Amino acid sequence: MTLGPGERFPDLDLPDHTARERRLSEVAGGDPVALLFSRGWWCPKEQRHLRELCALQDEFEVAYTRMVVVSVDEPEVQSAFRAGLGARFVFLSDAARRWLPRLDLLEETDTLHEPYRPTAFMLLPDLTIHRRYDGNWYWGRPTMEDLRQDMRAMSALVREDYERS
Amino acid sequence: MSDLPSGAAWLSFDGEALYAGEGPGRCFMVDGRCLDGEPVAGAYAHVCALPDAKAKLAYDQPEVQGVRRDAVAWWIPLLGDALVCLTTLALDEAGYGGAITVTSRPLDFREDPFARLFPGTVVRTDLFAAVPPPPGPVLERYAGVAWPGGRF
Repeated sequence: MTLGPGERFPDLDLPDHTARERRLSEVAGGDPVALLFSRGWWCPKEQRHLRELCALQDEFEVAYTRMVVVSVDEPEVQSAFRAGLGARFVFLSDAARRWLPRLDLLEETDTLHEPYRPTAFMLLPDLTIHRRYDGNWYWGRPTMEDLRQDMRAMSALVREDYERS
Repeated sequence: MSDLPSGAAWLSFDGEALYAGEGPGRCFMVDGRCLDGEPVAGAYAHVCALPDAKAKLAYDQPEVQGVRRDAVAWWIPLLGDALVCLTTLALDEAGYGGAITVTSRPLDFREDPFARLFPGTVVRTDLFAAVPPPPGPVLERYAGVAWPGGRF
């Protein structure tokens, strides 16, 4: 499965960082979503990028937009990692690797952790993919300015009163 | 009293007990899902509100936004599977009257971030149903329907 713009992203069913079962559509809650697949807590690149996201979460939460991070960490590990980061957005755990092969996002070179290949999807509220970022190389990931621009573009598409003129 | 928006429900608090609907004491609007479902018997509600009508804040105040951020960041994870539901107490489109955290077993509610705004009272109750907690932060400015159930 190669997921790209215009396609509908699968409605993932995974436990969150508190081990509660969630669906991606429920987490989206009718808002645009930045969905980020992350290797896990051990990766210094993930730690760096997620700290960037934490700096942006204040904007996301007042702008009717969502952030979701998926990794293969267990929920209790995610919960501790999230607390350490100061993150308020949701983490979904695919520790059982149920979705990883179906999404074709396995990072083949890390045979120790078998994690997700860092990939980000900007999703419209109905989970249609607006944009995809392949972040195996760190600079392939969305910068915070990329995220702002994507959220602006998607909000303009889905908010009927976005422009008054 | 404001008209009840879609998705909201009335709840009353007299300082000691909670009542579904417009009962004794002060009336608040809550996330209607909390009262709409199979109630959890013998639950513990930490009511961070006062019956005094003067105990009111604006949802826009940074302190109110701050405790909601804390609820999502660490209060809800700390409660774990004991959490039954959580709702703010809306007074009108812009007024915040407090919050209630409901758990299935007694916990140390001194950590409750909502108690920073109004003092908490623990009430045994059979009124509340289980509602999934908010998965992430989206802050509503004006809360005709109490957070987390409301939409702008």
